[in-house]
Amino acid sequence: MTYIYSLFQYIPFIAEGVLWTASLVLGGLGIGFIIGLPLAIAQSFGGKKLGKVLNAYVWFFRGTPLLVLLSLFYWAIFPSFGFKLDPLKTSILVLGMRSGAYQSQIFKDSIKSVDYGQILAAKAIGMTQRKLILYIVLPQALRISIPAWSNEYAVILKDSAICFALGVMEILTRVRYVSTATGLALIPYLFAGILFFVLTFSGTGIMDFIHKRTRIPGMVEGLR
Amino acid sequence: MIVLRAEDVWKRYDDTIVLRGVSLNLKKGETKVIMGPSGAGKTTFLKCLNLLVKPDKGRIWIDGEEITSPKADITRLRQKIGFVFQELNLFHHLTAIGNVMIGLTKVKGMSKSDALKKAKETLKRVHIEEELWRKYPAQLSGGQKQRVAIARALAMDPIVMLYDEPTSALDPGLSSEVLLVIKELSERGITSLIVTHELGFAYEVADEIVVMNRGRIIGGGSPEELRNAKNDEVRNLLNKWNGLKDGVLV
Repeated sequence: MTYIYSLFQYIPFIAEGVLWTASLVLGGLGIGFIIGLPLAIAQSFGGKKLGKVLNAYVWFFRGTPLLVLLSLFYWAIFPSFGFKLDPLKTSILVLGMRSGAYQSQIFKDSIKSVDYGQILAAKAIGMTQRKLILYIVLPQALRISIPAWSNEYAVILKDSAICFALGVMEILTRVRYVSTATGLALIPYLFAGILFFVLTFSGTGIMDFIHKRTRIPGMVEGLR
Repeated sequence: MIVLRAEDVWKRYDDTIVLRGVSLNLKKGETKVIMGPSGAGKTTFLKCLNLLVKPDKGRIWIDGEEITSPKADITRLRQKIGFVFQELNLFHHLTAIGNVMIGLTKVKGMSKSDALKKAKETLKRVHIEEELWRKYPAQLSGGQKQRVAIARALAMDPIVMLYDEPTSALDPGLSSEVLLVIKELSERGITSLIVTHELGFAYEVADEIVVMNRGRIIGGGSPEELRNAKNDEVRNLLNKWNGLKDGVLV
């Protein structure tokens, strides 16, 4: 009973981990967006040679386990370039670069689903490639990508737990401390599970709301 | 005055030669109709005229400027050519009025208020009622969509309108409303080049009909001349389209 009482003392400590996890997720998604969208545009409109070069980036980050990426960048790549970044910044950057690779594929597929006839029509009224991407392709592709992007949020949220390997004070790292300090396992880990569930559920709920609000009237996706 | 001139245009896709030296002139205010069986190269030729398809050989001039020249400012020259597609191709994320406005604001650089005024005027010209202006393409009928597409092209003040089988994706009932709009625009002196399978419409609207087959122009003339065509290949094609065997065309 004393153990359980002491567990309550740790709730604010674990809950603070939500802020760290949120930093990892939002930072990772944000950097991923900044990398992924231009990557998708370049892959879709930049020609075959550029596409192949960019594919190498995508496959490196998609094909390498996150734990390996975190270690590689924290212990080897960043230090060798003279950057001594703390575990949180390293984790956000690595999650972002990795998410960029995944997000590029989400956006690439969405861009592909904007039918080519509209691109021809935009050219026919005198739009340059830059303008047709900006005003015709992206407004539709970004809407189409919201469900898949929502999935990427859920994936990166769960992946953020792996950052405990670098000692980032996110939810799982804190739960491990609490578990060690109290000698209890079930309740702390269950609490961590509930926190992740709530974050996943609320985040995807927000994305669903945005998706519904931005839906193009009368258009059934997949039947364009 | 010739506003559009194509000279010896060739196009090949892999092993198939689609266009074999097509030449054509279009005078200001003229309405010319291109007819021909499927696979004749009509659509490819039309798309070559504003370089949506790049010809392998040949030269094309718009309003005296060569669009096929390596130095040509293609996006500027394309603004002089209105293009209406067979597949409608409206921008799905924009309303009817948004579809007409986007070229005016983003290509011509007009202010939103000026573009709105012009878009409203143009939609009225193609008989799109006010209650449809804020509808999205998915909420419009095929005929309404095609008329919005015509308005989108027309609003850019092109010197020539190109129509690529504008009614082939529509039911007969909806075709007539589109054909009526094209006829009205043509009668108001808008230079038009129309690819169509509607023989009756072609006779009604065309100053000249050009017949294409297997990538070549095989004949042409005024509707009257075509009715009395001497060329066997042209006569056979016209008879086939008309569903008549005795050579009498309506």
